[in-house]
Amino acid sequence: MSDRDDLSPGCPFSGLNRRRFLQGLGAAGIGAAATALSSGALADQQVRAAEVTDAPSSSATHQSHPFYGVQQQGIVTPRPAVGMLASFDVLVADRQGLERLLRTLTERIAFLTQGGTYEQRDPRYPPVDSGILGPSIDPDGLTITLSVGASLFDDRFGLGAVKPRHLQRMVAFSNDALDADRCHGDISLQFCANTEGTTIHALRDIIKNTPGMLMLRWKQEGTVPVMAPRSDGSTESARNYLGFRDGTANPPADNSGLMQNVVWVDASNQEPEWARNGSYQAVRIIRNFVERWDRTPLQEQEAIFGRRRDSGAPMHGGIEHDLPVYDNDPDGKVTPLDSHIRLANPRTRGSERNLILRRPFNYSNGVEANGQLDMGLLFIAYQADLEAGFITVQKRLDGEPLEEYIKPVGGGYFFTLPGVQAGDYLGSSMLAASQRHS
Amino acid sequence: MSNLRTVITAAAFGLVAMQAQAAVAPQDLVNPITDYKLYVLDNLEQFSSHTREFTDAIKVGDLQRAQQLYAPTRVYYERIEPIAELFADLDASIDAREDDYEHGVQDPTFTGFHRLEYGLFHEHSTTGLGDYAERLMSDVETLEQSVQNLTFPPEKVVGGAAALMEEVAATKVSGEEDRYSHTDLWDFQGNLDGSKKIFELVKPLAAQEDPAFVARIEENFTAIENTLAHYYLIEGDASSGFESYDKVSERDRRALVGPVTVLAEELSTLRGLLGLN
Repeated sequence: MSDRDDLSPGCPFSGLNRRRFLQGLGAAGIGAAATALSSGALADQQVRAAEVTDAPSSSATHQSHPFYGVQQQGIVTPRPAVGMLASFDVLVADRQGLERLLRTLTERIAFLTQGGTYEQRDPRYPPVDSGILGPSIDPDGLTITLSVGASLFDDRFGLGAVKPRHLQRMVAFSNDALDADRCHGDISLQFCANTEGTTIHALRDIIKNTPGMLMLRWKQEGTVPVMAPRSDGSTESARNYLGFRDGTANPPADNSGLMQNVVWVDASNQEPEWARNGSYQAVRIIRNFVERWDRTPLQEQEAIFGRRRDSGAPMHGGIEHDLPVYDNDPDGKVTPLDSHIRLANPRTRGSERNLILRRPFNYSNGVEANGQLDMGLLFIAYQADLEAGFITVQKRLDGEPLEEYIKPVGGGYFFTLPGVQAGDYLGSSMLAASQRHS
Repeated sequence: MSNLRTVITAAAFGLVAMQAQAAVAPQDLVNPITDYKLYVLDNLEQFSSHTREFTDAIKVGDLQRAQQLYAPTRVYYERIEPIAELFADLDASIDAREDDYEHGVQDPTFTGFHRLEYGLFHEHSTTGLGDYAERLMSDVETLEQSVQNLTFPPEKVVGGAAALMEEVAATKVSGEEDRYSHTDLWDFQGNLDGSKKIFELVKPLAAQEDPAFVARIEENFTAIENTLAHYYLIEGDASSGFESYDKVSERDRRALVGPVTVLAEELSTLRGLLGLN
């Protein structure tokens, strides 16, 4: 503020940002302002009051997650408030083009997730960046996770021999009504960040830098409701658009031994060697019929999920993170046998093989023709074995009472590539392995 | 024609004052802009005479002939869209789509080619189209007059190469331009011809600045033309016209999107490369 103290009375605007100054005047008008300035009221003008259109502030814009590593980011990284899954068709025609694409994506992801400034071009050219985050990019907790679909292993790139064993085109389950325009894809990019501006900026950057290489096929954005921190430091799972906590039974991501079993492909999975430290990504766009749900008695809602709505606790009581116990409830009198959580995870011997790591977001798109809300869950889950993980769990859920209120309409299966070290690119081990096969 | 050229050249010299420190000398653009105006006027002349045949067919109720003439008539307009769009009102009444109106085809102010397309290809009738045909013919004549008197702004001409590819990327690839007649490939080729013409005219200047840029553009134009060639009505004959857009395979649609996007991106730098403000 000191730079404004030397204003000479003869030049009332010197040193002031003229536009801001005029904005601050409001209805008072220039004449009144001149009077105010000359009468020494300048000090009041120096701290500008908050304006309606000021950018909301956040202390988390500098937050960044490491990009280089054995495994990709955005899987065991704690889920932030905003997520987006974008699926692309690959347009390049050959392996050389595919390598160029993967190198470009690696380079863009490395930049976007760590932040920095970009080249300022001669203004007679289009700018290199969309500018929506300003001239300097803050990472804002952004992670970008690159995965590949079964279609990438068709005849175009000679990758057929190295396809991960369980990677397949998603097939409709009994309650699905799949919309072809929101299914599958050669490549998926999962964007997660603290704010939507950051994920949209990242998507636009990648589109701008991959002309002729990628075509956006579909995308689905989602959010997670933000909660105030609790005084005792404990945390709770976020809620979905049905009002229930989602992810209570998730295996803890800070347990690296467990993550090794549940999430990451390793020597025990009988997968191609290049795929180690990768993971299967299952994506589902699951519409929720929220109006009908909101007209359903609470006890019925709780019986359908198998949990208490407000606390998230098991039906037999306690707190959210108490483990559900079914041993003394063989007939489902407390927790119905066909409730969502009991079907998904029966907690019987061997069912730990079917664990998955959920990373869902809630989505809200618009209005259906019948005037009802188009909203639901952008379900994303990671697992080392797609067949034993999501596919087995979903087969158990087929026919569950919750189906009256949900309708999966899109998504797909992808394989998340292993991580990358500086100087290398995502997918290099896959291309090298297929070279040996060809 | 030589007389006209002199007049246009004189007008085009107006651009000299606009140039500052461009690597390309401003007067270097005079001939390309002059040639471009001749190209546009030539296309407009043909557009006008084809529109007359097309609208006459509608007025005498010859449905089949009107349907046949729809796509070949539009091509001339699609080639010169960067200039036609300078006359926003005429562009709207000639070429707006029903999506531009809240009430779609029912909107009383919806006129022009796509209103006629709806009648000819969706309702399969010329009934009630006479007034629209009349209006189209008069709009096209007004456009031709207006363009003759226009000094071509060089930045609009050079920028037009990219604008035409944006047009393709936005409405042709999806097949929504000619949704009833499915003649999108004709329009696609028209936009491509128009973009390529502008590029060809400034190519020697661009090549001085960045030969690799020129090579990339040419490579992508060729890629698109090779894909479009799969759909000529007579094999190897570009003038034979095009198959219906619903015949285009998914693989070819993708093969078109790639180079179209590359051209839109690359050609967006053409004004900068030539030092135009």
